[in-house]
Amino acid sequence: MLHTGYMYFRNCLNCLHVVLSLILGSPVRSAQELEFNRDVRPILAENCFACHGFDKAKRESGLRLDTSEGALAKLDSGDVAIQPGKPDESKLVQRILATDDEIMPPHESGKRLTDIQKGILKSWVEQGARYDKHWAFVAPKKTLFPKSAPNGDGAIENLIDSFILERLSKEGILPSPEADPITFIRRLKLDLVGLPPTISEVDEFVAAFQKNAETARRELIDRFLRSPHYGERWGRWWLDQARYADSNGYSIDAPRQIWKYRDWVIEALNRDLPFDQFTIEQLAGDLLPNATDEQRVATGFHRNTQINQEGGIDPEQFRIDSVFDRVATTGTVWLGLTIGCAQCHDHKFDPIEQKEYYRFFAFFNNQEEPNLTLYDPELKAPALIEEQLKLESSIGKIVSDAADSLIAWEKSLTEEQTKAFSKEVQKLLTNDKPKRTAAQKRSLYAVGSGAMDESFQKFQDRSKEIDKLLSGGITTMVMKELPTPRKTNLFIQGDFTRPAEEVTCDTPSVLPSIENPASKINRLDLARWIVSPNNPLSSRVIVNRVWQHYFGRGLVETENDFGLQGSPPSHPELLDSLAVEFMERGWSLKELHRLIVNSRTYQQSSVDRADLREKDRGNVLLARQRRLRLEGEIVRDVELAACGLLSSKIGGPPVYPPIPSGVMGQGQVKREWKVSSGEDRYRRGLYTFIYRATPPPFLNVFDAPDGFSTCTRRVRSNTPLQALTLMNDAGFFEFATALEKIIQDDGIEVAFRRCASRHPSQEELTILKGLDSMSAARVLLNLDETVTRE
Amino acid sequence: MNNQQFLQQQTRRHFFNQCGVGVGSMALANLISDSSEAASPEATSLETPRNPLAPKPTHFPARAKRIIYMFMAGGPSQLDMFEHKPMLNQLNGQPIPNSYLEGKRFAFMDSSHRINLLGSRRPFQKYGECGAWVSDLLPHTARIVDELTFIRTCKTDLFNHAPAKLFMNTGTGQFGRPSLGSWLTYGLGSECEDLPGFVVLQSGPRGPRGGSILWGSGMLPSTYQGVPLRNQGEPILNLTTPESVSDSQQVRVLDAVRQLNAKRLAETGDEEIATRINAYEMAYRMQTSAPELMDTSGESKETLDLYGIKDPKEASFARNCLLARRLIERGVRFVQLYHTNWDHHGGPTENLEEHLPLISREIDQSGAALVLDLQRRGLLEDTIVVWGGEFGRTPMGEVRESTGRNHHIDAFTMWFAGGGFKRGFSFGETDEFGFGPIDHSVHVRDIHATLLHQLGLHHERLSIRSQGLDFRLTGVQPAKVVQEVLG
Repeated sequence: MLHTGYMYFRNCLNCLHVVLSLILGSPVRSAQELEFNRDVRPILAENCFACHGFDKAKRESGLRLDTSEGALAKLDSGDVAIQPGKPDESKLVQRILATDDEIMPPHESGKRLTDIQKGILKSWVEQGARYDKHWAFVAPKKTLFPKSAPNGDGAIENLIDSFILERLSKEGILPSPEADPITFIRRLKLDLVGLPPTISEVDEFVAAFQKNAETARRELIDRFLRSPHYGERWGRWWLDQARYADSNGYSIDAPRQIWKYRDWVIEALNRDLPFDQFTIEQLAGDLLPNATDEQRVATGFHRNTQINQEGGIDPEQFRIDSVFDRVATTGTVWLGLTIGCAQCHDHKFDPIEQKEYYRFFAFFNNQEEPNLTLYDPELKAPALIEEQLKLESSIGKIVSDAADSLIAWEKSLTEEQTKAFSKEVQKLLTNDKPKRTAAQKRSLYAVGSGAMDESFQKFQDRSKEIDKLLSGGITTMVMKELPTPRKTNLFIQGDFTRPAEEVTCDTPSVLPSIENPASKINRLDLARWIVSPNNPLSSRVIVNRVWQHYFGRGLVETENDFGLQGSPPSHPELLDSLAVEFMERGWSLKELHRLIVNSRTYQQSSVDRADLREKDRGNVLLARQRRLRLEGEIVRDVELAACGLLSSKIGGPPVYPPIPSGVMGQGQVKREWKVSSGEDRYRRGLYTFIYRATPPPFLNVFDAPDGFSTCTRRVRSNTPLQALTLMNDAGFFEFATALEKIIQDDGIEVAFRRCASRHPSQEELTILKGLDSMSAARVLLNLDETVTRE
Repeated sequence: MNNQQFLQQQTRRHFFNQCGVGVGSMALANLISDSSEAASPEATSLETPRNPLAPKPTHFPARAKRIIYMFMAGGPSQLDMFEHKPMLNQLNGQPIPNSYLEGKRFAFMDSSHRINLLGSRRPFQKYGECGAWVSDLLPHTARIVDELTFIRTCKTDLFNHAPAKLFMNTGTGQFGRPSLGSWLTYGLGSECEDLPGFVVLQSGPRGPRGGSILWGSGMLPSTYQGVPLRNQGEPILNLTTPESVSDSQQVRVLDAVRQLNAKRLAETGDEEIATRINAYEMAYRMQTSAPELMDTSGESKETLDLYGIKDPKEASFARNCLLARRLIERGVRFVQLYHTNWDHHGGPTENLEEHLPLISREIDQSGAALVLDLQRRGLLEDTIVVWGGEFGRTPMGEVRESTGRNHHIDAFTMWFAGGGFKRGFSFGETDEFGFGPIDHSVHVRDIHATLLHQLGLHHERLSIRSQGLDFRLTGVQPAKVVQEVLG
């Protein structure tokens, strides 16, 4: 293992050498060439666009500098702001360099260009004043990477490594050696499955690794990607974005049932449903031809909005609020755009008009929001429902045909006979005859003149039987398109009481339009457009969000904003190549995971280095891996696994593990929390019932999202409250009790390895052996290493 | 000696005797000195702090040591509380003259709508020697105007609640930047070993929009993020050691966790482990200090009456004001009190007629009492009390069944007391409708620069390097210390 790490290190040195000499040999592509988006646009945006930008109302002297056409146009004054290649003849350059009142930006604006900024603008004009479209609005292209650069096997196999190493060598930074196999298996299993490896998994892998590292790694990756728990780990990643929770939110926060959607996500990821199809089914599964129940369940994605059940509210207001949320969520999750900003006004930074916002809104304004009932497939529910309908009609006919005999029977009843009937029947008999419902007549017929009607009784019994069978159905919240679309209007300032002009469905004009649209387009067209290969955003955004999971930061750090205000990618060619690769590999998330975890970049050691602290403190260049504190659910999952209590059951209704008393009293309505018994007490964290208003504290203190709006990146805080939870919370203390038993039975070393995967050092053993077994168990469950992916 | 005292003594002994020996602690010390080096250039020449929250030297002599920030979440209406505008009343119901709209930066509103002026229905009166106008909504605040500096021309950039709250706290509307309290504890450390340096207290019907990100530490280590104290039940969940664990066992567990974590820190160089070590030490000390903090039984009836606290066990803004005083007495650097909801747009649940008076009553007496209480205890001298929302409200009204005002960012009122701010002073004047400033616009950045300045920090020198950039609370745009309001 040491050998391999060293090899990699040495080969990277070679590689560095090659690339360095390449750069030195061809000094053409130097830093002097200015890039509009990187170097120029920020200066113009900050200092010029306020008076010379896209806002017509504010434009001075008819000059706009946000487009090339505007900057090169002849103005009313006869001047031209920019003459490409001729800075001295360009009014813009003259004005920014002026020393008198002519200076731009003017004194009263309070803005001033620095000498460097003036220099950049001048050089940019000199270089031809090229305007570039914002990078994220241009379709990604694959960049060829230097396959010939050497590594341990003579070639860089992984496209990720080529880009990362190229950049590192440019900066004169060496990558880190490969992580040791135990760190690797723990890292990999936590990343792909969200659980720590068992001791035997570790031992087997280390043995296989020593025989053939590459094969061992490849097989391990395959195995974890096939694990049914993969869907749970990455399901939670998606559920964050879907703002999934088990209650209605707002102040009343009543429980809801939508866990079938959660199970659909887990199952879809496990079978690696291609991400484009995954998207289409969630956004518009109900509109697919011959939509299956599963595809309808998938539309629960956009039913994860809050529902206000307060008294005295206008339901339309909150229906519209949920549509606003659907628009914002769709924009953020797939497009990485803050479309929601255009709800009240034209977007301040991105080219999205308010009118375009409402065209997008229109896609989500045509739905009913029903529940779908799902039955056990064994039950053959559709046949039963059909049979039931037939029975009902037969029964109805019998009863209506028997109207006369029923009246006769009723007349013949003596007082004594009447008293013998149940209270219910007695009450029916006193009811006004003409006002009796069909059901009431049927009940009377059943005890009266129909008591001897055998075929009627047979039908009755069967009907009751079917009712009972069907009562086992499970409901889940879904979307359903209205047959006639709702009218959509632009709302002034986003206020639903102030509709303005009517709009119809369409996508924002800054992005490629829907191809071959039908006469009437709907959500299904939108869903297909979102994952069309022509859409420059979706695959970049998703690839970036997966990347972020592995390295703690996206290639685009502002993972929810790829617009003009977002941060530019740290490795643009890598991002684009991955985005294209992802689509070429059939939008397979598992293939994307495989590509990343197979890279040396991913497999590096996470140990910090003095030189990196100096040169790349934030680890943007990825000369090492990064230690990452686990997500809230997984902190608990790991502890459950370590102490042997973890239930491996997948899916089903949410569960109620113990929580501190008083927590449920924090909401407006006190909700019941009946602690689950049996294995449901020890299920993985993603199955815990989440009340939005009063989330379980152990998840909350470890930064699990609140489900109020989409969460595309979790905060990773590190606080005394987490320490108090792991030390003192009764639920976690129960885990310590179980681990104590393991220490007593199998020894401290086994317990240590169940928590941290690696073997303890002598020094560590000495510290732990100085404690009673309960204290040692509590120490292990409180170690930073136990709750961290290294 | 009772158990709690025993615990406290044990921790202190452990913490102070044993920190500094062993490879882990050495690494810890090194790392922390590293991080402060990168962060504030001044720190390099000074003694290396071992604990990230240990007090650090200021850039220049400070006038104040700590801040209590009463954050009126939702945006209180300055025009119904502090800004007396007879002209606004006179022209009630008429459109605001065009000259006001032209050439002015429009905030939230569409120019074709909501342009009718809305007069205030509140009677105003001049108070104190300084003659500050205050409406009948705030009779107690009216009595302390001679202690306060009013800035009537505060200006912010963002007009939606969550982004504007972020802006007021972090100087930007983007997620992931450190908040004022984090900057202060990062720059100055804390003078409290037993409680977090930055504490958040909340009252009102719900938490502030934006939530915990408002007291986040952004790219600063998470040690510096605000810690919210619960206002019901245990102040902090899981504060109590499990029943079957003895005090000495708890101490031994903590000690071993620290030793093993420090060892891992030395091996990996991950600063997050240093933060976690510190979090465990703090957690343990909080087990004793938090219950003691919350126990107000030692407060006199006179004090409780001053704050208007009827039941000291009941959660309220008034109780939070008293707790704020107790927190800063214990050396906590920054206490932030959020009170919701000031978002009076009009309508059945948030109007100026019914709801503004109610919420004003909730904060008036106790806010004023806090200033008076600090003053008589000699704490106001070096404590700054800040009062204000994320923005103000428009002179134009939203008239639904009841009246309300929209969000307004061009000019709104905040007040400051103590810590070197002038007494009985008013700064900045707005036009006859209170729409925009006539003079001295004071941007949020200027407020931040001024607060840091009073605590001995230069806003351009207090920075953290991240992604190749130096981040500051006041950002890259010009910001100035408002010298005029300082005594």
